[in-house]
Amino acid sequence: MHPALSVIIFTTFSGMGYGLFIWLCANLVFASSPPSDMEIVSGTALSTILVGIGLVSSTLHLGHPERAWRAFSQWRSSWLSREGVLSVLTFGPIIFIGGETYLKLGFEYLITPMAVLGILGAVATLFTTSMIYASLKSIPAWHNNWVIIGYQVFALSSGGVAYIMIAGWQHYRLVSALLLIGLLVKIITWIYIDKHRGQYKREDALGLADFGRAKPFEPAHSQKNYLEREMGYNLCPRRRALMRWIALGCGFIVPAILLYMVFSIDILITIICLGGMMAERWLFFAEAEHVVRLYYDKDEV
Amino acid sequence: MTCLPEKTDKKLGLLIDLNICVGCHACAVNCKEWNTSGITGPMEDLKPYGDDPSGVWYNRIHSYEFKKENEVDRTVYFPKPCLHCEDAPCVTVCPTGASLKRSEDGIVLVNPDVCIGCKLCSWACPYGAREYDTSAGVMQKCTLCVDKIYDENIPEERRVPACVSTCPAGARHFGDFADPASNVSLLAAENDARELFPQMKTKPVNQYLPPRKREIAENKKLDQKVTNIKDALMKWATLDFTG
Repeated sequence: MHPALSVIIFTTFSGMGYGLFIWLCANLVFASSPPSDMEIVSGTALSTILVGIGLVSSTLHLGHPERAWRAFSQWRSSWLSREGVLSVLTFGPIIFIGGETYLKLGFEYLITPMAVLGILGAVATLFTTSMIYASLKSIPAWHNNWVIIGYQVFALSSGGVAYIMIAGWQHYRLVSALLLIGLLVKIITWIYIDKHRGQYKREDALGLADFGRAKPFEPAHSQKNYLEREMGYNLCPRRRALMRWIALGCGFIVPAILLYMVFSIDILITIICLGGMMAERWLFFAEAEHVVRLYYDKDEV
Repeated sequence: MTCLPEKTDKKLGLLIDLNICVGCHACAVNCKEWNTSGITGPMEDLKPYGDDPSGVWYNRIHSYEFKKENEVDRTVYFPKPCLHCEDAPCVTVCPTGASLKRSEDGIVLVNPDVCIGCKLCSWACPYGAREYDTSAGVMQKCTLCVDKIYDENIPEERRVPACVSTCPAGARHFGDFADPASNVSLLAAENDARELFPQMKTKPVNQYLPPRKREIAENKKLDQKVTNIKDALMKWATLDFTG
């Protein structure tokens, strides 16, 4: 699949934003020493900015961004629509918790229930985001549970790094452990998709499996069409290896080591982690092969 | 609504005979001709006479070479329009309600006034039936010539999709697959009809008749005949009338 920058920014930024918000809410509900007002306000503000950048970016690749509001209507069948609805609903707790802490309107007894709602909303939004991809049978690299697990874990690990930047170092061991879990999940996902390559053949796509091996004879059209431009991304093995190392290194390994060493410039760790997540998400698209390629250049997908 | 209808009254679709298709592209050309000035038109056509032409087609004609042991190689021309699937994944993923499957005849359509151009439906389709119109910013697809097959102003025998009426070889048949006595159902039942990519579980309405089996056995038969004649001549030559 063609790795479009708008969708890469959408999923990485909003993932980090929701992860950060989950960390903040979990501390509001469970921590013995709850976060300070300053931490709550800056945490909710950064969540809003990250999720906001993500959602705005997701509308940039639309043919008709001015009609984006229509995407809230088909939540009965469409994971994309569900994601849209839940992401907007989750802004409720984020803005309430930040606003109440900053303005002191006298509703502080609602902050804990709102934090619980916030965790549920953010987890559900991340789940629907992952299901946009995991529900597509036509893209085997996405149509598996590791994608669903990955979106949750990577949001929590990258959001955890951002939370340390906001609220200090008390959870740094837990976050570095989560980064290592994220590393494992990513490696297992790659093993899974590499092992499952080639499960569909061109002859299956043509419905003529009993006629022997088929190869394209003459192209259906002289120039590349929309399908080949959108789904026909070719990733060379060397670049894949390079990007996989960048994703693992910047997304998980370097942030985990720096956190464990209590490296003082925490904003740098957050930026490295976000960059690594963008490399991971670039690969998520570039590596995913669509079965429509069986009608074109691929013998198997 | 992007929920699929439980059942459609009719299942209108195409039966494409791969044994007959000669790959002339007339169906694709007439499809574009009709639809670019029909309800879904204009169909994008960028730099049509330039070095790098690009545009939307509802129907593209692939071709493949099949190789199998003990059989002669064969070339198969493979027209591929939208299959109007019963379990159309392109419809359920649509967030806006622009994509729909009609409950009366099962035709899958896009409403261009509602589509936001998110392209997710084209990702969900395993067959590459949907193409994005960059000029209009919306998704386009085969309509089964919905503005032709119901048009009472044209003679009844011409109320078939443009690709069917133009096919010079008669490789495309149009009809109702829900009716077991229809032309397409009967042809499909008699001729080992295939659905594309059954593993995707989309239940396509359109079906394909495979190329008819041809084996080297035909040549063997010819060899056999020649030997028989040789034997007979030898018998006469040696005046051997036994056997």
